[in-house]
Amino acid sequence: MLSTRFIGWLRRYEKWFGIAAVILMVIGLYTGLVTSSADYYQGEVVRIMYVHVPFAQTAMFAYSTLFFCSIWYLWKRDPIVDNAAHAAAGIALFFTAGGLLTGSIWGKPTWNTWWTWDPRLTSFAILFLTLVGYLMLRTFLDDKEKRATFGAILAIIGFIDLPIVHFSVEWWRSLHQPLSVSTRGVSIAADMALPLSLMSIGFTLLFTYMLMVRTQMLYLEYLLEAKQGRLMSEERL
Amino acid sequence: MQFFSVIRWIAWKDLLSEYRNRENISSMFFFAINVILIFSFSFSLDPETIKEIMPGIIWVAFGFTAIIGLGKSFLVEVNNDCMEYFQMLPIPKGAIYLGKFLGNFLFMLSVEIVLFPLFVLFFNLDILDQFLKLLLISTVATIGLSALGTLFSALTVQIRAREVMFPILLLPLSVPIFIGAVEATRGILSGDAFALYRHWIELLVVFDVIFVVVSFWIFEFILDY
Amino acid sequence: MATAIRGIELSKSFQHFQVLQSVSIEIASGECYALFGPNGAGKTTLLRIFATLHRPSAGRFEIMGFDGNRERAKIRAAIFLIGHGSYLYDDLSVKENIQFAIGIRGWNPTDLEIKKALDQVGIGRFSKLRSRYLSAGMKKRLSIAKALLVRPKVLIMDEAYAALDELGVAMVNEFIRNFTKEGGTVLMSSHDRAKTAEVAHRVGVLNRSVLNEMSVEEMSAADAIF
Repeated sequence: MLSTRFIGWLRRYEKWFGIAAVILMVIGLYTGLVTSSADYYQGEVVRIMYVHVPFAQTAMFAYSTLFFCSIWYLWKRDPIVDNAAHAAAGIALFFTAGGLLTGSIWGKPTWNTWWTWDPRLTSFAILFLTLVGYLMLRTFLDDKEKRATFGAILAIIGFIDLPIVHFSVEWWRSLHQPLSVSTRGVSIAADMALPLSLMSIGFTLLFTYMLMVRTQMLYLEYLLEAKQGRLMSEERL
Repeated sequence: MQFFSVIRWIAWKDLLSEYRNRENISSMFFFAINVILIFSFSFSLDPETIKEIMPGIIWVAFGFTAIIGLGKSFLVEVNNDCMEYFQMLPIPKGAIYLGKFLGNFLFMLSVEIVLFPLFVLFFNLDILDQFLKLLLISTVATIGLSALGTLFSALTVQIRAREVMFPILLLPLSVPIFIGAVEATRGILSGDAFALYRHWIELLVVFDVIFVVVSFWIFEFILDY
Repeated sequence: MATAIRGIELSKSFQHFQVLQSVSIEIASGECYALFGPNGAGKTTLLRIFATLHRPSAGRFEIMGFDGNRERAKIRAAIFLIGHGSYLYDDLSVKENIQFAIGIRGWNPTDLEIKKALDQVGIGRFSKLRSRYLSAGMKKRLSIAKALLVRPKVLIMDEAYAALDELGVAMVNEFIRNFTKEGGTVLMSSHDRAKTAEVAHRVGVLNRSVLNEMSVEEMSAADAIF
């Protein structure tokens, strides 16, 4: 089992990820909010991009992590992989909510609406609901292995579904949305690229840090349960 | 081939039970009728509005039907521990999934076929000459819905909050089905050329193939976790 | 004689609660092995591990020489479990339930064969009755009829006599005697020492995860076995 070595590794290195994430995000925010130039079309509003885009990217990254952990779990049945998947799902939910929220705030001044059925927004809403479903399903299942397996199945199905959702909404939207609401991306000026990539990397490191901490937490809970179980069994035997 | 005989046995068993107790089909059917009734009171019935909202009404009704019917699909398998018997069988478990899927698909489709005349009746629609095209759309959309619904029914059947969890899992992930089915139905009802909405049918077929195959492969883990 | 069932240091915990701890057992082909023990000793869990319903937390097992982790499909083709679940569909008749349960294993018995099996377990008269209306004892008899038709190499019976009347117990014992005579292996759990003594070849008492083996004579003579 990979558990003990892996947990030791997590404990040893987690703080470096956290520190790196904070440093990158502080520099990224400073360059993004203060030194970089405003967008030609959108003005100062564009600065929310420096949070929104990393939020969205990290949410995708977190869900991919959940997907790979799920496959790995079904393959190897290692409990710590399930802990990592469970951790990734909760964090993915956080970043997805952040992405939706900042997207909505950004949408109000640029598209003049809080919400539009843009393919990306819609897939994120579906992603959000899928993650909520995943976490709910887990809380309702009592058996540990069943919880892990059924969760993994749902995560895999959802991951395969998301591109299809994105694709179908794109087609649907081309029929129904008036073209005045533009989802045109921002053309990235050179002094925008630096803060954006700093923030992206910072957020990814933040996710990694959160994942490491949360996985350890869940694994410790697992160990605690094991300890309680052993004590109960000793009484019985 | 033992594989196909397993599918046949499971579907046979489900159809025969259904023929005897009519629990699933009647609850799906009467629930859908109630949905249609509420809708016909909720919207004004002038022909232009009807044409605009009809596809949505049809597929909301079918969506509710799916929730009612598919969610309970595996209940009969856990009542007398039949899932355990399946687990102990020396057969490919995916075949069991396909058998359940086939039964569910047939239940759903037969309810939908009976409901179409009711739409004509309640909403004064003129769709009878388009019936074959509507049947095609219903078939491809229902395959996708049943594929996901059968899998999620197996996932949620043993938990306390089954009635809540099943739609929470099924509805978001079947968004492409509803978009595709509604758009294709809209095309039919407004008399568009087939080429104008053919891509929706293709999308539904792609969805069907992906999820039948993935669910078939992944079902093994539900029985042998 | 060849070994039919071999369990090596099997352990099983549920939610970390240890039910079995390092239980080893070996049963030869053609033998009827009876498992006794107080409620909650883990008899059912042990039987269910051999029936491939649970995976052991530690240890390994073989049935008919097939490995319990890697060759589960082959084991499943060789075994049959008569357990607490009836595995019936309420809206199918007794006969249809049998047709389904056997047919899905890839063999379709004739009406005559089904009738013979049902008569042998004493529920031939009820073959057209929907299984919803069966009593617990009749459901048990139906499970035995299935076992008669499946002809497994290894039969696992959890609480072999539960819910059966006196005639039913005699029928089960008759069935076990014939089954083992033809080379089949039976692993059963029971609480009825006198009835078990009629058919069992060896006895094991499972208590606090210790398996204490004894002969049938010892079991019959003892005042209390746990």
